[in-house]
Amino acid sequence: MSSSPAILPAKGPADRLTALFWRHPRVLLAILLTPPLLWLGVVYLGSLAALLLQSFYSIDEFSGVVKEEFTLKTYAELLRPSNFDILLRTVLMAAAVTLACAALAFPIAYYAARYAKGHWKAAFYLGVMLPLWSSYLVKVYAWKLILAKEGIIGWAAEQTHTSWIIDGLLSIPGMEGSSLSTSPLGTFMVFVYIWLPYMILPMQASLERVPNSMLEASADLGASRGQTFRTVILPLALPGVIAGSIFTFSLTLGDYIIPQIIGNSANFIGMAVYQLQGTAGNIPLAAAFAVVPILIMLIYLAIARRMGAFDAL
Amino acid sequence: MTAAVEFLSVSRHFGPVKAVDGVDLTIAEGSFFAMLGPSGSGKTTCLRLISGFEKPTGGTIRIFGEDVSNTPPHLRNVNTVFQDYALFPHMNVRDNVAYGLMVKGMGRAQRHAKAEEMLALVKLDAYGDRKPAQLSGGQRQRVALARALVNEPRVLLLDEPLGALDLKLREAMQDELKALQKRLGLTFVFVTHDQHEALSMADSLAVFNEGKIAQIGTPQDIYDRPATRFVADFVGSSNVLPPDLTRALGGPAEWASLRPEATRLSATGPVSGPVKALRYLGSGTRVVIDAHGTEIAALVPAGQPVPAEGTTTAFAFEPSALHLMGTK
Repeated sequence: MSSSPAILPAKGPADRLTALFWRHPRVLLAILLTPPLLWLGVVYLGSLAALLLQSFYSIDEFSGVVKEEFTLKTYAELLRPSNFDILLRTVLMAAAVTLACAALAFPIAYYAARYAKGHWKAAFYLGVMLPLWSSYLVKVYAWKLILAKEGIIGWAAEQTHTSWIIDGLLSIPGMEGSSLSTSPLGTFMVFVYIWLPYMILPMQASLERVPNSMLEASADLGASRGQTFRTVILPLALPGVIAGSIFTFSLTLGDYIIPQIIGNSANFIGMAVYQLQGTAGNIPLAAAFAVVPILIMLIYLAIARRMGAFDAL
Repeated sequence: MTAAVEFLSVSRHFGPVKAVDGVDLTIAEGSFFAMLGPSGSGKTTCLRLISGFEKPTGGTIRIFGEDVSNTPPHLRNVNTVFQDYALFPHMNVRDNVAYGLMVKGMGRAQRHAKAEEMLALVKLDAYGDRKPAQLSGGQRQRVALARALVNEPRVLLLDEPLGALDLKLREAMQDELKALQKRLGLTFVFVTHDQHEALSMADSLAVFNEGKIAQIGTPQDIYDRPATRFVADFVGSSNVLPPDLTRALGGPAEWASLRPEATRLSATGPVSGPVKALRYLGSGTRVVIDAHGTEIAALVPAGQPVPAEGTTTAFAFEPSALHLMGTK
């Protein structure tokens, strides 16, 4: 039998530190959590509180100076038709982009989660992530060229004598424009393209967690593919769909660059905030605009929770 | 008697891997049929061929006389109890059990009533409102059983359903399953790698090895008269004697099997050897003797003297206990 000691000597400071953490697990937790909590609590929540506070101030219409008194006047201004239009347009766009992203992302995410193996899985991740590596502005300007009247889509339509489809789409009320790049339809297409990866990845992660035997059990009990999709796959993947939709929805709500470059220059919430805090110098109204997406997301999450979207978590 | 399930030279190859290779099989209606074999022997693939989750690469499968080669799983009137139970985590127990009835379009009140009936059958009446995550392993197993049975399938398939349960619960569930099968008169097809489970529960069983059926018969046939060395070794943990040893013990020069419980230690005998290992089993002690390089296990009943490890001993048996298996 060997005669090595029952307690090994500490080899150095790392061993002693590990021993300290073993005796006081909370010390490690505190060390790990302090920096992010400082960042989140002070910097992030602090500025959010400042934003909220600003939205309850108002601006003196004559002097243009911010009056630091509590008032709901600024929020009332949001309901003026010109401002309310901006809110409505932004929310509708965000909802449409989210639905389109979900519909496009599902087959891709489903394939990646259920069938892709090895190299194909690597190709999937690369394919989804690659667009995220290049500059957002480059992509948006590239789309401006793609969607322009003389762009590749217009050219292809002309060659195949299908220009009437684009013309038809551009004559739908609300989508008018001289070309796709100056139509709200173009804004929508670019939004969908830019935010799609943020829908695919959480969806794929949640589909990956649905075991195969669950789908087999459903078929075994007599369910058709459609029934299995509605009653098993969708409810189990819903947390991922909701997570993805939070990204696409809130990113669209806050974006101010895409609608500036592509579309008919109609105002969106992000653009309004940008203009109000800059040229107009109306910080209270800009803050009130900025609070709207936060409220919408809170309401959206409350509804999703009510509908049981997080039951399968 | 009608055949509930028939395999006519059925194969399922995955590329070069012959998971199931030319299997012929007939499962009688109303029987409790076990498929026994080590992992990778093709027994689970056979079960999945019946449920329709695998398509045969060759041969024909019939369920109650009907060729099901082109029938998808959801149109086959058979149901499965899955190894991991595969209960739907987002539904409560009642909705899990009623799932098959729901997809067939039965109304809410009626299917819930039927589900409750079935839950009572598996003694889980009060658990309808719980989520599967709130149940123990044994309870989940019963829910899976109720969920399959509520559809009144022609054949019930069970894929190692007791594998995840502890010993005590497993034995209780074995008795319950057997009683349930008798009461319902349903055909049960049961996959297991546990030879005791297969022998004690099945009316007849097939022993699988490397994608083929090594032997098919009643538990007594298979235990007392194993057809091959593999069956003797896997099913009975029998002693397998090579031809030389069989001849030395007074038999013909053939492979033979000899059950440990039919082997006793004796002071003298034609073959003797040192005791290599002892294993205390409670009801007795398993003594392993090294007989010219072949391990021979003998079961010494409790209360009788057990030799110490290393001492040399001989062994004896009734000549009728020696089962011959040919020269190959």
